[in-house]
Amino acid sequence: MTDVAAPASAPTGPAPTPPRRRHTARWVAVGVLVVAAGLTAVLAASPSATLAQVQSPLIGKPAPPISGPTIAGTDFSLPKAPGKFIVLNFFASWCVPCQNEGTQLVAFQFQHQAAGDASMVSVVFNDTVAAARLYQQDQLGATWPTLTDANGKLALDYGVEGQPTTFLIAPDGRVVAHIVSPVTAADLDQLIARAKALGE
Amino acid sequence: MRRRRFPLWMVLGAVLVVALVVGSGVFDSTPPTAAQRAAAIERGIKCPSCEDLSVADSSAQTAVIVRAAVRQQIAEGRTDQQIESYLSDRYGSAIVLDPPASGVSLLVWVLPLAGGVLAVVLLAVRFARIRRTALVGPAEATRLEEEADTGATADELDDRRRFLEQSLADAYAEHRAGDLSDADYQALRRRDTARLAALDRRSDALASGGGGGGGGAGGIATLERGAMAGDEGGGAVADRDGAVAPDGVPAPRPARSRRQRLLLGGGVAALVAALVLVVSLFAVNRLPGQTSSGNVALSRQAQVQQTLAQAAALENQNQPGEAARLYQKVLDGQPTNEVALAQLGWLEYEIGVQGSSTSLVADARAKLIEAVRLAPTDYAGRLYLGTVLLQQDGNAAGAVAQFKAFLAAGPPADLLTQAAPILRKAYTQAGVPVPSQVPAD
Repeated sequence: MTDVAAPASAPTGPAPTPPRRRHTARWVAVGVLVVAAGLTAVLAASPSATLAQVQSPLIGKPAPPISGPTIAGTDFSLPKAPGKFIVLNFFASWCVPCQNEGTQLVAFQFQHQAAGDASMVSVVFNDTVAAARLYQQDQLGATWPTLTDANGKLALDYGVEGQPTTFLIAPDGRVVAHIVSPVTAADLDQLIARAKALGE
Repeated sequence: MRRRRFPLWMVLGAVLVVALVVGSGVFDSTPPTAAQRAAAIERGIKCPSCEDLSVADSSAQTAVIVRAAVRQQIAEGRTDQQIESYLSDRYGSAIVLDPPASGVSLLVWVLPLAGGVLAVVLLAVRFARIRRTALVGPAEATRLEEEADTGATADELDDRRRFLEQSLADAYAEHRAGDLSDADYQALRRRDTARLAALDRRSDALASGGGGGGGGAGGIATLERGAMAGDEGGGAVADRDGAVAPDGVPAPRPARSRRQRLLLGGGVAALVAALVLVVSLFAVNRLPGQTSSGNVALSRQAQVQQTLAQAAALENQNQPGEAARLYQKVLDGQPTNEVALAQLGWLEYEIGVQGSSTSLVADARAKLIEAVRLAPTDYAGRLYLGTVLLQQDGNAAGAVAQFKAFLAAGPPADLLTQAAPILRKAYTQAGVPVPSQVPAD
């Protein structure tokens, strides 16, 4: 039997495999190509994010109740059907995009005050009330109500993920838009026009 | 090839299954506390303002808000599903880190499973095929071999010969090492030597010029005779390598009988059941919050002990703030740790009295009551609670009740000496004689 073990040094020859070819690599490549094409198609078909308007489970639903103490020390409560468009803005005084947005919001409020078709409501988010008051009243000169939301209940009810976050609420009290980037007065006018066109 | 080690991997598999089943905690019958439930839910909820963190791992404002909401919902008696849907209604379904097992998201759960099953099936089919070709008898093998040899050049035949010789050498080595049974080895050897004999004849035919591409009917007839010779397992093969292959050995080893297989399967099943039983019996006897996997739980318990010791040292070094922070750390992980509750309660009481903070004193009292409830025979909690009752409420009778329990718990002598004045005061005020255990001035 030793003479059987002896030729162990000889190199291993090719196994007698059947001559059928399987083209495995080709099929794998085709599979990868199909997946990549599908992914590209899905991404191409999704709407582009010009104004970072994002999906929110609240859109189309009645806005969660907006009430509570304001930074001015008064109590504020928005009616369920406010009768005009409400721009609900979550902000922090230290947040630079919020500061850039602030003047636009003041302009928006000024433009719509006389017509009475839209109004601002702000909510302090991730900030102290004192800092928010200093910024909102003294620096910005905002005259609309700003809620303190001390326990974060409003932020929770609206699913706020960061600042600034803006919701547009229709006169009948339903949420019609959710924006997670700084807005301009023109953006808001455009959103209101679209909501009106859709029959709000 | 049928190996003798066959049942070993089944035993290993059984051990793995048992470990996974027990480790998964399905035998953990203790219902989770509210804090444990909150922690479990928070681990599965995404921090809304973070990229890839759960609210349990984040200190962002949004995470703080969500954590508070989870705890409040638990306090209001909502189920885990209700809490998750409460949050999804506000933040969208992406707030739940585990995608839901419905709709398109179902694919995320099903595809890996389907892929795994498919892979196992494909492997099983492939191995079965390899096994079948490996176990065909020498006659069949030789015929297959010769079909492949037909039309082969001299070089290809040489390659094949080297391969067969190597295969024989490997089988010999495996047999010597005990990895290959006698019967299997003989079957392999007969097959390969038969193939080699056929190759030799083929080479001879090529050398004499009678072979070539179109060997013709004559060539095939010769080969078939050769195959027959090989199949007889007789002299020609034995002559070639000088070894003796016992005649009459069946080529493939007979498969295990039905009875043997049943016995084997039943044995493994019984082993699994016994292991599950034994491990779960040992595994259920543990503290709330501890996991079944011993090492991790043990090290966590050891960590808690270490933290408590550090806190006690800080307390002795008159650093109540740092000590309180460490006790709080222990309580964050184990809300029912009675030592941390009692010590933190006492620290809060002392700080609250100094700072005339009624809320802190009230909080301290709640902690001490909880500590005494959790560990009625622990002397520290009794001493602290008795002191609070006496100093805050002027409740001497209540204090004496606590101090009696304190004395019954066998406190260390130095603590007894330290506590003696307040004990004497309580007993005197309540009009109860001071026990002899309490040292005099």
